[in-house]
Amino acid sequence: MRFIREFLESLRIAFDALRANKARGLLTTLGIVIGIVAVVTTMTAANGLANAFRESISAIGTDVLYVSRSPWVQMGRNFDLRNRPNLNLKESEKLSAKLVSAQAVNPTTGTNRQVKFQSKTIEDVNIVGTTDRQMMVSNSVPEYGRFLTAFDVQSRKNVCVIGHEVKNRLFGSANPINQDMRIGRRRFRVVGVMEKQGTASFFGGPNFDMQVFVPVTSFVKAFGSTNRNFNFAVKAPSQEAMADFEYELVGEMRKIRRLKPAEKDNFSINQMNTLLDAYNNVMGVIVMVGLLITSVSLFVGGIGVMNIMFVSVTERTREIGIRKAIGARRRTILAQFLFEASTICLIGGLVAILLSMGVTALINNLLMPASISMPIVVVALAVAAGTGILAGLIPAIKASRLNPIEALRYE
Amino acid sequence: MALEIQNITKIYKMGQEEVRALRGVSLSIAKNEYVAIMGPSGSGKSTMMNIVGCLDTPTSGEYFFDGEDVSKMDQDQLADIRNRKIGFVFQTFNLLPRSDIFHNVELPLIYGGLSSSKRRELAEAAIERVGLADRIRHKPNELSGGQRQRVAIARALVNNPSIILADEPTGNLDSRTGEEIMGILDGLHQAGNTIILVTHEDDIARHAHRIVRLRDGLIESDERVGAMVAQ
Repeated sequence: MRFIREFLESLRIAFDALRANKARGLLTTLGIVIGIVAVVTTMTAANGLANAFRESISAIGTDVLYVSRSPWVQMGRNFDLRNRPNLNLKESEKLSAKLVSAQAVNPTTGTNRQVKFQSKTIEDVNIVGTTDRQMMVSNSVPEYGRFLTAFDVQSRKNVCVIGHEVKNRLFGSANPINQDMRIGRRRFRVVGVMEKQGTASFFGGPNFDMQVFVPVTSFVKAFGSTNRNFNFAVKAPSQEAMADFEYELVGEMRKIRRLKPAEKDNFSINQMNTLLDAYNNVMGVIVMVGLLITSVSLFVGGIGVMNIMFVSVTERTREIGIRKAIGARRRTILAQFLFEASTICLIGGLVAILLSMGVTALINNLLMPASISMPIVVVALAVAAGTGILAGLIPAIKASRLNPIEALRYE
Repeated sequence: MALEIQNITKIYKMGQEEVRALRGVSLSIAKNEYVAIMGPSGSGKSTMMNIVGCLDTPTSGEYFFDGEDVSKMDQDQLADIRNRKIGFVFQTFNLLPRSDIFHNVELPLIYGGLSSSKRRELAEAAIERVGLADRIRHKPNELSGGQRQRVAIARALVNNPSIILADEPTGNLDSRTGEEIMGILDGLHQAGNTIILVTHEDDIARHAHRIVRLRDGLIESDERVGAMVAQ
């Protein structure tokens, strides 16, 4: 009971002291506020980036394997990758025939071309040759119109399905369906518009809303097939069977390529998870560096608090003397100053969280999806209190060790 | 006996030099005595008062306070003795400037760990006793010197201490207000309290019933006087 009463008295003293020196408290708190806002915003931005990335790749199924010429994530330089043969359409057909357990094999290839409708043009749009099976390996669907059909592919129809942003920039609010647009020098009829997917472009990734899909056969007819490299999206029978399926896929590809047992694969199997892992590794480093830099500002804020606590102890030497003379123990005086420092920092922490919410809302509106999570709030407050205790500790110890006689004599 | 001091010395180190502030002092004070400790500056009077008040410990010798040996206690144990058994009245009042009268008087009870209702009851009674009930929510700077010293007296007696230790209680007051304060102390003595007065003024010392004079760290004289003699 006695401890609780001393505790309450310490809390009261802390608030009295802050009230008595409002401007000083405010400025000191500001240092902590800036520090914590910096830390919280860094963490929030990191979360936001991760969310944006996940969102932008969510269209690519996780039960899909990609056969490509080279791995998506490359560590160091690999000269033998250059000598690998391109993947071609014939291999895709063979794979589709042999790999019976696959739900779908979808070959894609791409190039960049100018697209044009009436007077409007967009340069360097990603033109993707694909098939109707894309609907099985990807989660994104047309917003209106339709996607490419097997018939479009078989009969090499000059039809296309355009991305959301392509539609906006070429057609504005007009209905693009059944309009003829130009891709390079060829004329293609628009049959569908894909739903908006969001962008991974600030990672240097593709902007999925700036794509135009055409039948892979028409693509070859229009843009040629020499030196053209394909990717095969292969959908596994189930998420659980991924490992076995990958083994099977590699086996079939080796057979198709007639590789001898001693020869290494001259193709790569990629999946979303490798990309995610690579991304997480990079982000982890960036976040660590960011936190390191921002914690410097929090550290400076903490030094500010410590400085003020030293001033506070000196100023109140006589008060400490009085309190000791009438029975305050060392721990009571210690608690008094620790509370004062933590209160400054906790108030700073609360203000900082409110500010961070504002900053986060701003990021959310302008840059990317971001939100403050409960763990971040808890961590921020814990860091604030911890900073207060650390910054207050040395001044508080100094205060608690004051000799009551000398403290009473202090003018 | 309220307190019993046996052959106490106190040596301070001032740089290279040793200052022997007390050089073997023995003194017993019984319950309900009214003692004045006198002496010129440098006589060891302040040192004596610090030791008697358990603010400091002697270099050698023994000091029993209500039967407890306090001469070897650590800071926190001394704080506890001060809190429960000693009421201080200082020359400069030593009130907390930012706290109101009530909180100032209540403070020793907080450190004593009393419940807030009990604290309220005792603090209000003590403030009533020094005649400041109508000023209970005032801050010290809204009071006159005499009133401030009365607050200090209320704070000193709020936890019903074994002794009230008054260090030059009238030193910062004009003589009329000083007499008023001495009147209150006289009243407390008559109500059964033990009072130790540290002063260098004969007029003030005359209120006590026993005067202990210090000189050069030794007791020069110890005599019963004034009211006691008159009785």
